[in-house]
Amino acid sequence: MRILIVEDDAALSSFLRKGLEAEHHTVDVANEGKQGRAMAMEVDYDLVVLDLNLPGVDGLSVLKSLRQRKANLPVMILTARSRVEDRVQCLDSGADDYLVKPFSFLELSARARALLRRSHLPSESILTVRDLCLDRVERRVERAGRQIELTTKEFALLEYLMRNAGRRLTRAMIIEHVWNLTFDSTTNVVDVYINYLRRKVDDGFSPSLIHTVRGVGYQICPEGASA
Amino acid sequence: MSTSPHSFPKLPRGPDVLGELLHSLCQPLTSLRCSLELSIEEVAEQQQESVAVALQQTERVIGMIQLMREYLDAEQPGPEAFSSALAPVMRSVIEDLSSIAAVRGVRLRLVGTCTATVPVPEPRLRLALQYLIASMIEAQAVGGKVTLLLGEGPAGAVLRVEGERGFREVDFQNQEPSAMSPRTKRDPEGATSASGSTLRRVRLAIASRVLETAGASLVFGDVSRTRVDPAGFVLRIPRRVGPPA
Repeated sequence: MRILIVEDDAALSSFLRKGLEAEHHTVDVANEGKQGRAMAMEVDYDLVVLDLNLPGVDGLSVLKSLRQRKANLPVMILTARSRVEDRVQCLDSGADDYLVKPFSFLELSARARALLRRSHLPSESILTVRDLCLDRVERRVERAGRQIELTTKEFALLEYLMRNAGRRLTRAMIIEHVWNLTFDSTTNVVDVYINYLRRKVDDGFSPSLIHTVRGVGYQICPEGASA
Repeated sequence: MSTSPHSFPKLPRGPDVLGELLHSLCQPLTSLRCSLELSIEEVAEQQQESVAVALQQTERVIGMIQLMREYLDAEQPGPEAFSSALAPVMRSVIEDLSSIAAVRGVRLRLVGTCTATVPVPEPRLRLALQYLIASMIEAQAVGGKVTLLLGEGPAGAVLRVEGERGFREVDFQNQEPSAMSPRTKRDPEGATSASGSTLRRVRLAIASRVLETAGASLVFGDVSRTRVDPAGFVLRIPRRVGPPA
């Protein structure tokens, strides 16, 4: 996929480029609004990652121009503004997603994949990782043909891991997406639920699919290799 | 070249100064966080531990910045159009927190309902309720119980929250070790530390500020005389005046 990053902070845009290229995307960078707008108009991008606070033409003006000419181009906004009103203004102006600084690269990457998937593929109702299948409609999980009973939270956690199979997920990302909390609950709830899942999904099966990523969090590995 | 006095930029004052500083901090912190996340797998195994620690510490700083932002934003009433139906938000917060309560060995029970729409934007209402109820859960011992009684009075919604232990035991005195082991590997200071207690107090202050900005009253302390030593809080939120958003 081809992605345009419009971000004036050279260090940040370079890290984003490096991370997205490592995920096999082709990445272009524009360091100011006018240049970003011109590039987005000329080139057929799959996604634009757009900072709001840009020199010259600001991000919101770029977004409004893009929406007039490229209504279906997915645009993810990066901003340091976190208030509800700012979020609403961006989404009303046509942004597809909105990420508040200081964000995690892993979060940006996960959201970029979701936007790319949404614009290219119909939503999958069945997620599969090796012999593990999760049916989002029937709320059913099977491994090697054997049905696995999960609680609502265990199901949501497994779905999040499988939707991001092969990718590292931090505990903060998991707690935000599965528990809908933006703060540290001071419990080891993520670790506890990962253990519950491991008992049901990995114990008695080979290879183990759920892996701990030291210093980061967890991931489900399609190869079953050690993370 | 002369400069008109009118062209001198308006200087930020009070909370605006902090707001601008926080805004400026976000840029380097984003770079730092992304760089550590990307490098953790690239460095040699002996250095991974150091990068992991640096990443954890960066995330702690980011968490504190998030709290500062929330505190500054809490006083902004938000546009008139934003309001929320209290009961569905309440139920959803309970659903989100119930597994956390279960992990801590605490029972969480919601009784009653209400039809009130309250003048708080939904994300802020959710945040305030999460902070209040999470703090009550954290205050309980294993086997403890938190009961939430939701109802309606002439002026608006009333939420009465009772626990066997209140905020004071946890947030204003030394805390006993929690029921579940805190995340000692990730957060060596864990839930029992002074900094953990400070963060909880700040969260309570944010919740209080969000709700009071909407005209609510939040009273901490003993809320029932029917049991031995129950404690918690009573929240009264006025109904939104005018058509619902």
